[in-house]
Amino acid sequence: MSDWQDLKNNPRLKEIYNKRIEILRLTREFFWRAGFLETDTPVAVYPPSQEPYLSPVPVKFFTPDNVEHKFYLHTSPEFAMKKLLAAGYEKIFQLTKCFRNYESFGGQHNPEFMMIEWYRAPGALKEIMDDTEKLFKYIGKKLGIENLSARGNSVPLAGKWERKTMKQVWKKFVGINLDEYLTSETMRELCRKLGYDTDGRYEDLFYKIFLNKIEPFLGVKKPIFIYDYPAAMCSLSRPAEDSRYALRFELYIGGLELANAFGELTDAVKQKNNLEEDRKKRQELDREIYPVDRELIAALVSGIPQAGGIALGVDRMIMLFTGAKDINEVIFQSAADMIDKKF
Amino acid sequence: MAQTSEIKRGVVIRQNNDLFTVTDFQHVNPGKGAAFVRAKMKSLATGKAIENTYKVGENVEIVDVQFQNMQYLYKSGSMHVFMDMKNYEQIEINEDFIGDDAKYLKDGLEVMVGLYEGRAVSTQIPKKVKYKVIEAPPAVKGDSSAGNVTKEVVLENGLKVQAPIFIKEGEEILVNTDTCEYSARA
Repeated sequence: MSDWQDLKNNPRLKEIYNKRIEILRLTREFFWRAGFLETDTPVAVYPPSQEPYLSPVPVKFFTPDNVEHKFYLHTSPEFAMKKLLAAGYEKIFQLTKCFRNYESFGGQHNPEFMMIEWYRAPGALKEIMDDTEKLFKYIGKKLGIENLSARGNSVPLAGKWERKTMKQVWKKFVGINLDEYLTSETMRELCRKLGYDTDGRYEDLFYKIFLNKIEPFLGVKKPIFIYDYPAAMCSLSRPAEDSRYALRFELYIGGLELANAFGELTDAVKQKNNLEEDRKKRQELDREIYPVDRELIAALVSGIPQAGGIALGVDRMIMLFTGAKDINEVIFQSAADMIDKKF
Repeated sequence: MAQTSEIKRGVVIRQNNDLFTVTDFQHVNPGKGAAFVRAKMKSLATGKAIENTYKVGENVEIVDVQFQNMQYLYKSGSMHVFMDMKNYEQIEINEDFIGDDAKYLKDGLEVMVGLYEGRAVSTQIPKKVKYKVIEAPPAVKGDSSAGNVTKEVVLENGLKVQAPIFIKEGEEILVNTDTCEYSARA
């Protein structure tokens, strides 16, 4: 909860909101200083992206003569920013509100949330990890904060952050070699063995184990980047050296997922196929479907350098810097807050 | 069998031949992936806290708990005594079971109690509770210029919270029981 009365009467919530203002400023400052340009792209787009499990929020626009056009609030500015890479921009960032339907109102989600997304073209995932680590450390230094807090863990910012492959963390926490569990059949068998429900596709089975056995312990002592995801889970990334895996990483701090990054897939044909596949998955999952973004494919055909890009949840980052337990505490008038006061 | 959408605070899940009361839950959507529900639960047998994450739509065995609105009466030794407002029966609940929430109890407070086979398996304090302020230091001139926007006040049940300096003795305020913070004037 954070409305005008809370900010007026509750010093803790006021302090959180003050930090939010400062963190947004410092984030911009960091990227401008590092030579990135701040871009801005539409929030309402058509067509939206195709992630099988995301639900973009539909909106209707009307022309003066009453012709209806259906748009969607973007779930991230990814496609638009990749088009900017095709236009020749090399280092770009964007702080923007994103929207996802059918996610919880509070806790770790709000249907409207702030994202920072940035790209380097050309750029390697290692550089994106470096940017991320430096961004947090820059904000920490400027705010005089040495420890982040999440889920009851206090995590020091200082020191080199951990970088481990997905395969390494499965070995450590589940004791298996992930190479042998890259198909739905083998992963289903593993779920059965470990006593989890065995329904669903590869990704579901993967996350059933990951969320129970691995995620709560990630980044508890120091922040950790987990990289090289099973290729089946990465329709927007290039393959890693071992092509059964893909160039993707996520950042975890104190068991909280903060950011998702890709070594961007720049092969237009592969990208088109992957998006068609995702569209099919959406259909199977009974989700709303829409055409694949042809302009994105055209942009890739015209060519973009081997780029790296990342999306980082800013509200969650603010939670870590302020110790807020619920995302609603770092958002002025969260969705839950406004529903609460509806009259 | 129930669905994950029924997982809420206070429900009881049967798993591995043990019963667990859900104390908290959260939705997680990993890396643009499917939706999951992460439940924090307490074993009824051992009191041990565990965490379990279910995929939304997965079947979960939720046992049939009866939820009754009960009125808090008083404390007797290590037991808190509540009264079922329907049949006026009294029930005793151990202070360890109520834990930190005990500080919010006050005479006449209505608490949602979950009963399973006649035994209390969960208690839920309302999100916001009204209390009378019994002690509030008077506002001192210069408070706001010194940056003091709050002061400690004592409530009718002995609970102490930070409240805005304009709150006076005898007033009623709402306290947020998630954070133990002042919420508004009642």
